Amino acid sequence: MFVRDKMVTELVVVSPQDTILGTRRLMIEKQIRHMPVVEDGRLVGIVTDRDIRDAMPSLLFEEGVEPEVCKEIAEHIISDIMTPDPITISVVHTLQDALLIMYHKKVGAFPVVDEEGHLLGIIAIRDILKAFINLLNIEEPGTLLCVVVEEKPGQMKKVVDVITEENISLGSVLVARYWDEDHRALFPYLLTCNVATVKRKLMDLGFELIEPMDMLLDQVPVNEKE
Amino acid sequence: MNETGKTGLVCDERCLLHDTGDHHPESASRLRAVYAWLKESGLAAQLVPIEAQPANQRWIEAVHNIHYIRKFEDACLYGLPDFEHTDNVICRDSYDAALLSAGGVLEAVDAVVSGRLDRVFCALRPPGHHAERDKSMGFCYFNNVAIAARYLQLQHGIEKVAIIDFDVHHGNGIQHIFEEDPTVLYCSLHEHPSFAWPGTGRDFEEGKGEGEGFTFNVPVLPGRGDKEYRKAVEMRIKPKVKAFQPEFLLVAMGFDAHADDLMADIQLTAEGFDFLSRTVVELAECCTGGRVISVLEGGYNPLTLPRLVESHLRILAGLEK
Repeated sequence: MFVRDKMVTELVVVSPQDTILGTRRLMIEKQIRHMPVVEDGRLVGIVTDRDIRDAMPSLLFEEGVEPEVCKEIAEHIISDIMTPDPITISVVHTLQDALLIMYHKKVGAFPVVDEEGHLLGIIAIRDILKAFINLLNIEEPGTLLCVVVEEKPGQMKKVVDVITEENISLGSVLVARYWDEDHRALFPYLLTCNVATVKRKLMDLGFELIEPMDMLLDQVPVNEKE
Repeated sequence: MNETGKTGLVCDERCLLHDTGDHHPESASRLRAVYAWLKESGLAAQLVPIEAQPANQRWIEAVHNIHYIRKFEDACLYGLPDFEHTDNVICRDSYDAALLSAGGVLEAVDAVVSGRLDRVFCALRPPGHHAERDKSMGFCYFNNVAIAARYLQLQHGIEKVAIIDFDVHHGNGIQHIFEEDPTVLYCSLHEHPSFAWPGTGRDFEEGKGEGEGFTFNVPVLPGRGDKEYRKAVEMRIKPKVKAFQPEFLLVAMGFDAHADDLMADIQLTAEGFDFLSRTVVELAECCTGGRVISVLEGGYNPLTLPRLVESHLRILAGLEK
């Protein structure tokens, strides 16, 4: 899961000398929120829909915008409002890297550049969400189990063995980090509706099956401090 | 109120020939247990018996793609062990059973539309609500309830049909078949799709295009039971169905939301199911002159299913103990 595989490469870009109004039209037309700014093939900045909005008069005063104001906006160019030298990412970063940087730096998209600063693509939070939807397999029909296991080697194997015995495909498996010291919670996502037997077998082996909601609501700190 | 002699029961022993093996949850034995109990309890004798007839292919085609129908028939004829997914275990008789299961509901429609009966419960299998236009899913091959809805419209000129789905799993097939159609309201109460199969039926799925607003999903979190169901029905389902003013009411009646059913995690009690059954009667009295057809979908615990079906039927027939 590298940035290379999920980035968007059909790029719409502007130059620092382009007008704000022209860029605004382009972003609306192409439904783009993050526009790389490129000069001589190299990335020099990024401009977001928020930058554009901040540069425009308020909608509430639309009736009353003076012609001089409109004229002045029309004279400004992208280099006046862009973020120069934005945070970038390389093609060989992983999606996990991208997710963590996005989360910690509070940005919604990264230009992807090579070592010389040439723009190769852009990757936005939505592209990463799509990748994680695929990873979790949650668009495939399936059933989520929550199995409480002791914190010792070999527990996952027992659970997977039961699933395998029943000839069930696994969509994904999550292991929860938050649980009491001696236990963990496994969340196998089974690509079947036929879960009665597998549940009974797991209970017969002594595993506790709990409602996934109990786990999510009671054990995971909701407002985890950064 | 319902007159005695106006409630029917569709049963057909030939549906037991759809052999999925003894260890499969949707096995012949679950329906066999229902038939035996309805007979033993004396309830069957108080109802008008209806025998299923194989559905005319014309009506199956009103919902399903012809290539899909042929592919399913071929899979059965060739003796394949399953169809499209290992969940969907089949045998040589499965195609005929599926035609009967759909056809039995159409017999029920004829009986009710003609005025011979007011209410009918169809105790048939295989079930139907997961079957998509061109794909089998979740033990379902032909979408019995969807086929009945189209039959009501095309054969009997009924315009507005409401479908209520109480199976614990979301009826993806019914939803997708009618999601662009404002003449069929689909309301489903089910376990939340982040936990339960098939992963659809989120509350923001509300229909598409002209059908926007005519798909209505109420997901319930795992572990919840009678209280949440009661609230969801009173506050969400009933007002939605009444506002739609349907001419006919179909119910996809699954019994797998019961606490003892391991196929899902909803903790409904027998009383909870009685409440759902009374809701069906109330909505029928209120909207469709009492006319309603309820069709068996899921319900996989052979120890609880027969009595849940009995109680559902007693409430439909006005024969409560």
